[in-house]
This record gives sequence, structure tokens and C-alpha cells, in this order.
Amino acid sequence: MLDWLAMVLLLAGAFFFLAGTVGLLRFPDVYSRLHALAKADNLGLGCVLMGLSLQAESLVTALKLLLVWPLVLAASAGVGFAIARRARALGIQPWRKGEP
Amino acid sequence: MIRIFALRALLFAGLWWILAEGRTDGWPLCVVATAAAMWASTRLWFPAPKPIRLAGLPGFLCYFLWNSIRGGVQVAHMALRGRTSLQPALIELAVTLPPGGARVLMVNALSLMPGTLGVDLHETGLRLHVLDDRLPIEAEVRALEAAITTLFGKQP
Repeated sequence: MLDWLAMVLLLAGAFFFLAGTVGLLRFPDVYSRLHALAKADNLGLGCVLMGLSLQAESLVTALKLLLVWPLVLAASAGVGFAIARRARALGIQPWRKGEP
Repeated sequence: MIRIFALRALLFAGLWWILAEGRTDGWPLCVVATAAAMWASTRLWFPAPKPIRLAGLPGFLCYFLWNSIRGGVQVAHMALRGRTSLQPALIELAVTLPPGGARVLMVNALSLMPGTLGVDLHETGLRLHVLDDRLPIEAEVRALEAAITTLFGKQP
């Protein structure tokens, strides 16, 4: 039962990483790519870590895996904001519907 | 004050214990690491004038978790449909949260909430990039603002 749940979570995590990467490749500008990276990859990472911690050998290993999530979350939210602010300061205009 | 530092030391020692995967034979290193983390925290993490309420934490975490799932699913869907599903815009909104920790938390959390990305934070307002301006962005932002207000407790 736990193994099945872990497998579902790992597959879901892989799917969100894939979707985030597809977004990175297909979205038109720096701002929308940041959306894809921050949101999809964090959800993917959360699923992967949950799946892995279900299969961990001890409680403390599971805690260690789960600890990775808030740390990466804080880093990627902060970095996303910093890149977006810098892009704006450099005068990069966001892509608008109808442009190539 | 003593209580805050004792809590922090306990937190850092706990983190070390998790990183060491529960082994206790390296405890002298744990003492050194905790002391170093305490030193860094007094330099970087001043006792906030308005700390968060621990009682508000579970509610905020549930809100945050649920909306990160919504945000991830939504952006994954848009990525698979391609750029025709996008209608991006830059919008300006007023913030009602007090300056400091609450605002910083808000602008960072916005990058993980559905459809929004914090671009700039200034004295009176907030600039956001949104993936699709047909979505009810302002309602989402106000809901996050309310959740953060609850987390920090009623304003004096």
C-alpha cells in the first residue's frame, strides 16, 4: 500500500518536473518562464520528496528529505522574485498576447 | 529575550540532529554548528517587532500547501497547452500589510501561488506579473493577504 502511494507520488513529481520544463521551453518571456519554474518544479519536488520519504528506512531520514522542501521553496521563491525585479529594472517588457 | 534564544538554539540543534540522521556520536560538532548558527542568527535574524503566532501556523501552512498545488497544476496545464493559453500582464496592487516580514513573506509566497509572480515591492504597492489576466487575480492576492494577516495576528 505504502509502496503504491510512493510510486504514485514519484510519478506525479516526474510529471510536474516535465511540465515545468515544457513551460520553460515553450513560454515566451522571462516572466512567464519564472512562473513555470517556480510553481511546477516546487510541486514536483514536493511530490518526489514525499514519495521518497515514504520509502525511507528511518523516521529521521524521512524528516531530512522533507526538510529539503521548505529550504528549496524559500530559495526558489526568493530567486524568482529577484530575477523578475532585475528583468523589470533592465526594462524588459513582458510578452503580450498577439506578439510573435 | 532569553526565551527566544533558547528556542532558536533548540531549533538549530534539532536541524543538526536531522541532518546527522539521528546519530549522536558527533555531538561536539553539533555544539559548534549550533553556536555558529546562533551567531549568524543574531546578525541576520533580529527578534522581529511582530513575530508570527505559532497558533496561526497550521492554518497558514494548509492554505499555502493547497494553493501551491493549485498553482502547480494550473501552470502545468498552461505549459502543455502552449502560449496560446496565456494572456500575461503587469498589474499594480496596493498592499495593506505593514512593512517588514509580512510583506516580504507575501511577495515571495506570490511566486508560488496560482498565476502570480512578484516583480517589485515598493512603499505603497506591489507590482505583479500574471500569466492570465482573465483570472481573478486580485481576489487571490487579497486571500493571501488575509492568510498572512491571520498568521501575524491582529495589528495593534
